[in-house]
Amino acid sequence: MAAETAAQFTPVIYMLGFGVLAGVPALIISRLIAPRRRYNPVKFLPMECGQMPTGEGRSHFMMQYYSYILMFVVFDVMSIFLFAWASSLLLIPRTATLSIMAFLGIMFAAMGYALYLSGRKGIW
Amino acid sequence: MASTPEEFRFGNFVGSLIWLILIVLIIISLVGLPIIFVILFYVPLPPVNGEILTPYLFLSMMVDPTRTLPIIKFLIHTHLFKLVVFPGFTFAALLAAATIFIERKFLAKMQLRVGPLYVGKVEGILQLAADGLKLISKEIIIPSGSDKPIFWASPVAFVAAAAAVTALIPVAPGWVVANISVGLLAVFAILGFFPLIALLFSWASNSKYPFIGGLRALHQMIAFEIPFFLSALSVVILAGSLNLTDIAKAQHPFWFIFFLPISAFVFFISSLAELERVPFDLPEAESEIVAGWLTETSGMIYGLLQLGTYVKLYALAALFVVLFLGGWAGPQIFPQELIPGYTGEKIYNPVTVNAIFWFTVKTFGVIMLFLLPRGINPRIRIDILLHTGWYKLIVLSFINMFVALALIYGGVLGPGGLLTR
Repeated sequence: MAAETAAQFTPVIYMLGFGVLAGVPALIISRLIAPRRRYNPVKFLPMECGQMPTGEGRSHFMMQYYSYILMFVVFDVMSIFLFAWASSLLLIPRTATLSIMAFLGIMFAAMGYALYLSGRKGIW
Repeated sequence: MASTPEEFRFGNFVGSLIWLILIVLIIISLVGLPIIFVILFYVPLPPVNGEILTPYLFLSMMVDPTRTLPIIKFLIHTHLFKLVVFPGFTFAALLAAATIFIERKFLAKMQLRVGPLYVGKVEGILQLAADGLKLISKEIIIPSGSDKPIFWASPVAFVAAAAAVTALIPVAPGWVVANISVGLLAVFAILGFFPLIALLFSWASNSKYPFIGGLRALHQMIAFEIPFFLSALSVVILAGSLNLTDIAKAQHPFWFIFFLPISAFVFFISSLAELERVPFDLPEAESEIVAGWLTETSGMIYGLLQLGTYVKLYALAALFVVLFLGGWAGPQIFPQELIPGYTGEKIYNPVTVNAIFWFTVKTFGVIMLFLLPRGINPRIRIDILLHTGWYKLIVLSFINMFVALALIYGGVLGPGGLLTR
């Protein structure tokens, strides 16, 4: 069963490989026929609208919406759990829907509280 | 009047072109032809019509058109053809190229410009070829201090991931590269790669604007991934399957967009955000952060990223068609026989051709809808983006989930329902 499921995915892997096969020659051909002039070191500086770049390129950057990222970790998994229920909805008894509604209720309450907290200022 | 420098004379240009053609011919005759012969004589060829295909048979069949048809019929049903040409890479890449050209002309018409006009005389039809040649002959500038392996690998990974999404899209009954029982989840899984590739690329290029753009791409995924999943949930409830072919077949009498218009709307909006298109093009906001995560791209690296973006656009438009617009369903408009009275070997299947036609027409319609906001909408702010995704779209997508449940349990759809065929 596991081997069959894995075998279903082999065309996707082939397609991924074909994408690589299509992309790499384009870069190689471009490298072969394009000019390479390296006498001017300023040309290779990072783009900062014509100024000489100051400071580090990779610096600490303020992630202002951190609360959403924390919520994403939880609710993304929730939304994938719902797919397992939805795809087998026609096969399972109707009472199973009640428990999933309870699950949804808990998740809605949690999401509402998290969104309420993320809207408040001064806690992040 | 200053005379033209020696190396810019037209004769020199023609001469260099002729040299190039000569070198290519020599390489083909010295390397390509031996490889073809080695493959033909040493690789076991497949049986066609019960007899093993030898190289001599192959060459003799190539001459006689009536005997070529079985070979063609055999070849277009191989895995390799599906992967490389028809529902796979070439089809998607051609549609993507057509999309780029149509987008430029369409936006130009909307903004009272003319768009590409000169290359190819007729409405600038060869502009794309010219752009491709230009991109492939431009120097690739790699910023100093960049992470070179990741910088080179990310564009290739972007194209490969976009191609892998198109492998899962069914174009006609039986015409899909990978018929996976959990195809919808596989599409979501592969779509999750793109913001990561954007972030990797922006981190590798050691520059400030790409870094900000990459972080914005991540935020955009966080805001719109959950509405994207949940809007497809109601489709899965009605279809009872995660296989994309089954989902397309399940909407035979009535398309799901009639039952789930809000889901379709949410899916459309979140697809726009996944594609980083206006009004959600924050990762490459050209009026704020130069070109976002594409700032340090040049030459063919930019070309590959652009190709990947438009292949992804085709994939998501095709996914919208499969989930909400009935896939390949449409009235039969192709005749049963292409040549009346012909009784020999046939490769023309009216049902498949009809399915491909309707699928392509619908996909192009959705692509035009994706292109439309770029002409009429401004860009939205990032906090409004996150607010829209979390507060509005998630709630909207749950509304139609309950509608779908009511339709199933109310006996309208599902097994033995009123509207079930």
